[in-house]
Amino acid sequence: MKHITRTPAIVAALLAGAFSLTAMTASAQDKVIIHAQGETTISGVPAKVLTSDWAAFDNLHALGVPVAGVPASNAPGYLKDFVAADAIQIGSLFEPDFEGIAASEADLYIVGARSRDAYGTAKDILPTVDMSIDNSAIIAGVQGNITKYGEIFGLEDKAAELNATLDAKIAEVKAAAEGKGTALVLVTNAGNVGVYGPDSRVAWIHNELAIPSVMENVDDGDHGGDTVSFEFILERNPDWLFVVDRDAGVGSEGAAASLLDNELVNQTSAAKQGHIVYLDPQAAYITMHGYSGIMLLLDQVLAGLKA
Amino acid sequence: MRLLIVATLVTIILAIISLFIGVSDVSLGALLSSSAEDRPMQVLLISRIPRTLAIILAGASMAIAGLVMQMIVRNRFVEPSTAGTTESASLGFLVVTIFAPGWPLMAKMLVAALFALGGTALFLRILRAVPLRDVLLVPLVGIMLGGIIGAVTTFFAYRFELMASMLAWTMGDFSGVLRGRYELLWIGLFCAVLAYIAADRFTVAGMGRDFTTNLGLNYQRVMVLGLVIVSLVSAVVLVSVGSIPFLGLIVPNLVSLMVGDNMRRTVPWVAVMGAGFVLACDILGRVIRAPYEIPISVVVGVIGSAIFLVLLLRTRRHAA
Repeated sequence: MKHITRTPAIVAALLAGAFSLTAMTASAQDKVIIHAQGETTISGVPAKVLTSDWAAFDNLHALGVPVAGVPASNAPGYLKDFVAADAIQIGSLFEPDFEGIAASEADLYIVGARSRDAYGTAKDILPTVDMSIDNSAIIAGVQGNITKYGEIFGLEDKAAELNATLDAKIAEVKAAAEGKGTALVLVTNAGNVGVYGPDSRVAWIHNELAIPSVMENVDDGDHGGDTVSFEFILERNPDWLFVVDRDAGVGSEGAAASLLDNELVNQTSAAKQGHIVYLDPQAAYITMHGYSGIMLLLDQVLAGLKA
Repeated sequence: MRLLIVATLVTIILAIISLFIGVSDVSLGALLSSSAEDRPMQVLLISRIPRTLAIILAGASMAIAGLVMQMIVRNRFVEPSTAGTTESASLGFLVVTIFAPGWPLMAKMLVAALFALGGTALFLRILRAVPLRDVLLVPLVGIMLGGIIGAVTTFFAYRFELMASMLAWTMGDFSGVLRGRYELLWIGLFCAVLAYIAADRFTVAGMGRDFTTNLGLNYQRVMVLGLVIVSLVSAVVLVSVGSIPFLGLIVPNLVSLMVGDNMRRTVPWVAVMGAGFVLACDILGRVIRAPYEIPISVVVGVIGSAIFLVLLLRTRRHAA
């Protein structure tokens, strides 16, 4: 009898041992993350995460991962409230505070876009990944990053869910934009107007939403776009104007709106039909690689298209 | 005199060319065959004429501001952007943008002018304390002062997330000029006329304080008038189109090489050549990458620095 009663206990013990063993190997297991500047090995799920990139913060926040260290400045308005009160500040977007990063004893440090040059120094201090993505394929890049974060933090399901929501939103905006005509993306800056084209940071309006641009072969820079006159806008006569107001730091959309409210722009079909959509400047210009930023922009485009 | 007429004619021709360059089709034929309601005429009235006027006013008044400055500081290498004036005006404009973004442009411009006045006065005060009035030391002091004021401006612009706006302000650019958006520049013309009326006084003041006082002129008052002219012009141009580097340096120097230093004679020359030079540069900026534009400050910067180098090397060769 003893024999019979003991067997399941042994099996149970063995099983438990095996389980704890696999659990142990899993927690100690090294994961190799392939990213924009190479491969980084991390062990287990990082508990303390730092980032010098607001888009990375945005994506982690969307996944529900707490972030222990953030850039000291330029927090976009729509993310400000989500930064933990005790989060350490690790320098500017371009120049991280490496001493602070070294002292923080964090498990993972994420750089991207503006802070990507920090990778070379940071990788010797602690496990670092560069999550920069290409502006010509922002949506795919954001989704790829979300998937990667899902793997790193063991949140694959949540990541898939976010990506599915993003896909659905894209499809919805795309459907709303179909047959609505051409568009031009403008950035306004202290009284000047620049145009954005297919390789810029707002190119997704054309590439991903399939809204045709009024321009062909734009050779634009990554920043303010190419300077144009109001005559240019008048002649190209877009059906829609999407406006990124770089003056918005001063407050409101008033600067861009009053700049574009002039005798030439008012003759375009976009202005005549009230088809001027003001995009969140921080989301469009600083953190366009983050989940909630891109969702915010898509909602703004959608609201504009439906208005 | 005959030469001045030729220069004026060239400038007028440039102005006419400027009227017919742009994205929209505004040709003489289109204008003649269209009514006042049609696009060519509309574009001409709303965009082309204001832009051309803005270029002429800004070019002429900035060049004259440079001339006045060179007279009162008695140094050939000084102009608003090498004396801290432009930087001070930017700081003033930034301050008013942060604290009173809703103020009308005119009020903002006046604040910018007051800051410009303060900055330039500070420059003159520092100059009095500089023992060696070396020709190159004076602009160096001005550039350093401008650098300090610029650093303060950058700090606040950074804090208030206005860096990009700051860059765009200080970058001279006529692309945003339309009817109703350049009229402040007429103040520049007013200042230029004032400079012409007071030209003899500036010429005398250019000889030094003692000389001026001996001739029975109030040196201090002439200086203040000069400062007000320079500050107002800098502020008006900065607020309307942004700063145009080198302009106040090159044009007066070229003119001085050609016709000497009597300000009554040089003011019309400086005005005409300032306007013509900026017109030529803006036309280039519009043509090179059409339909996009290259900002005037970039074109003037490139061409201006080249001309300036030639000037420097030539004067040295003559001296040697």
